[in-house]
Amino acid sequence: MVDFVQLVILGLLAGGVYVAVGVGFGLVWGVLNIVNLAHGALVVVGGYLTWQLFTTLHLDPFLTLPVDAVALFVFGYALQRGVINRIIRAPLLFTFLLTFGLNLIVVNLLLLIFGSDFRSVTPSYSGQGFEFGSIVIPYVPLISLGVAIALSASLAFVLNRTRTGLAINAIASDRDAAQLVGIDLRHAYAVTYGLGAACAGVAGGLIALIQAITPTAGEPYTLQAFVVVILGGLGRVSATVVGGLAFGLVEAFGQSIPGSGSVFANAIAFGLMVLVLVTRPQGLMGRLR
Amino acid sequence: MIARADTHRRWRRIFLILGVIVGAYALLAPLTSLDIAQSAGVPLLADRLWFRIATFIAMFVVMATAWNIIGGITGYAAFGNVAFFGIGAYTTGMLISKARWPFLAALPVAPVMSTAFATVVGLPLLRLRGHYFAVASLGVGVAVGELVQNVEYRGQPIFGGASGLFLPIYAVDNRGLFFFYLMVLAAAISIAVTWWVLRSRLGYGLIAIRENEEAAAVIGVNTTAYKVAAFALAAALTGLAGGIFSQWNVFINQDNTFPIEYNVQMILMALLGGTGTVFGPAAGAVLLQLLIQFLGGSLPISADIPFVSESARPIVAQVILGVLLVVVVIFVPRGVIDFFGGRTRLSLAYLRRSLRETSL
Repeated sequence: MVDFVQLVILGLLAGGVYVAVGVGFGLVWGVLNIVNLAHGALVVVGGYLTWQLFTTLHLDPFLTLPVDAVALFVFGYALQRGVINRIIRAPLLFTFLLTFGLNLIVVNLLLLIFGSDFRSVTPSYSGQGFEFGSIVIPYVPLISLGVAIALSASLAFVLNRTRTGLAINAIASDRDAAQLVGIDLRHAYAVTYGLGAACAGVAGGLIALIQAITPTAGEPYTLQAFVVVILGGLGRVSATVVGGLAFGLVEAFGQSIPGSGSVFANAIAFGLMVLVLVTRPQGLMGRLR
Repeated sequence: MIARADTHRRWRRIFLILGVIVGAYALLAPLTSLDIAQSAGVPLLADRLWFRIATFIAMFVVMATAWNIIGGITGYAAFGNVAFFGIGAYTTGMLISKARWPFLAALPVAPVMSTAFATVVGLPLLRLRGHYFAVASLGVGVAVGELVQNVEYRGQPIFGGASGLFLPIYAVDNRGLFFFYLMVLAAAISIAVTWWVLRSRLGYGLIAIRENEEAAAVIGVNTTAYKVAAFALAAALTGLAGGIFSQWNVFINQDNTFPIEYNVQMILMALLGGTGTVFGPAAGAVLLQLLIQFLGGSLPISADIPFVSESARPIVAQVILGVLLVVVVIFVPRGVIDFFGGRTRLSLAYLRRSLRETSL
């Protein structure tokens, strides 16, 4: 029983990072209809920003997260405005290829700048945690989960309660009608992608605290974002939160299966994703559009 | 109009002659490595490196042409075709290394296995459309790779595990030459299959599905059967390439038989050459693979990239490849074969038009 509770807790805590990785990806996919293969690379950029600020300025890693968000918002805005907006009306395969190309560029520029060494961010409190009897709750994943929930909540607030958010919702439901009522599509697209990139940056900062990062580590994050978004369903932030936590649980239980279960965690996650896609394409909580 | 048809024909002829020259060189140069040719004093045109690169190019010709059947002709953005390559490679590899089958008996099983897999997976997956199909096929590709590396039976990895699978070296004179011609044969088969598909009832059905699936169903195309057939056909050809690769490379593991970047490369090749055509993907495969090898510095003719140290070169090559990918996708969305057809000319107006058509 204690093992079970511990497993659930660890799964939910790990899910926090997946929520953070997934929300930006889901926003860009749901609103712009772009499957952003560069998402993992943006996550890694966020991780390196946090690492750089932590090692040179000795800032607390959690305080660097707003910097990640702002920097990646600017980068994402420029990327969408300057490059990705050029192929919005092209067939979907082109967005795949374009974002894969961007991924290649970002990852290899990171390799040129930082080299391929693994970097980790280890503040004094990393590795410590509360203990309730025999159940352990580590600090860093706990704060990460809190940050991820806060991030999702503020994204949901922006989307549902601000003018910009209304514009984003409008282009999600009908691009041409949105243009007719006077929304500047180029700007709104760029803001949406920028918000997605900002979420990726925050996720990267959290990941740098939990595991060592290297420029080529981005690909798994993109794949995880896929699974999270598909599990939860497109079109709502809360669905992504559910998807992320569910993915964390699935992974934790997958790793606990006796007899080398840990190596199957990915296969289980992707098998589950394909299963959800085939049986319930709108996701666990999504709305079909 | 007459003048245009004329230039059209002229470009076609130039393109055809160029293709014949390249093809003849590729097919005849290996012969100079035979002992007879060497003792007769013919200059050696194909060394080990030549064979390695040329066989790789032929392999990508197979994969890009096969992808074209499901992605180009049917219009389903398959993003996990590398799974078929890996399944083919592991089928042949397991039969040779564990069951001690002879290579030529084990090779035909590879396309059979990948076809069976594609049929089973295709039935549910091909109900999905657009992004969802792309993502699901990608998921299948990743999951199969992970399973193959990690499946164990009584603590022993069944498929060689993380350390991979070693095959006995196939005893044949002129190994390089043998595998090169075998891969070229596979490439010829895939091009012939594409040619046949485009002229058959199947092909017309697939094109109808690409243009409008509901309409195709209304006029009596059994869309499910047609889509699965296209998927299985692509899988068979890709699996064949995988089977040849396993014996040619002698060593297979998850990294060299399930690499995700092959998915992107085969699509890019097909796009570069022109999707839905017979020779386009093959031409794209030759061009792009040569470019990748050139940037990586493994071609005999290579240019130094200025201001770049030797160690940073592969990384800079990847950056250049990424920039190229972005530029091609943005400016040449219909593929370079558009220019060779003679219908369009590479001009500023063309670039501006393709930008206007796709941008927001």
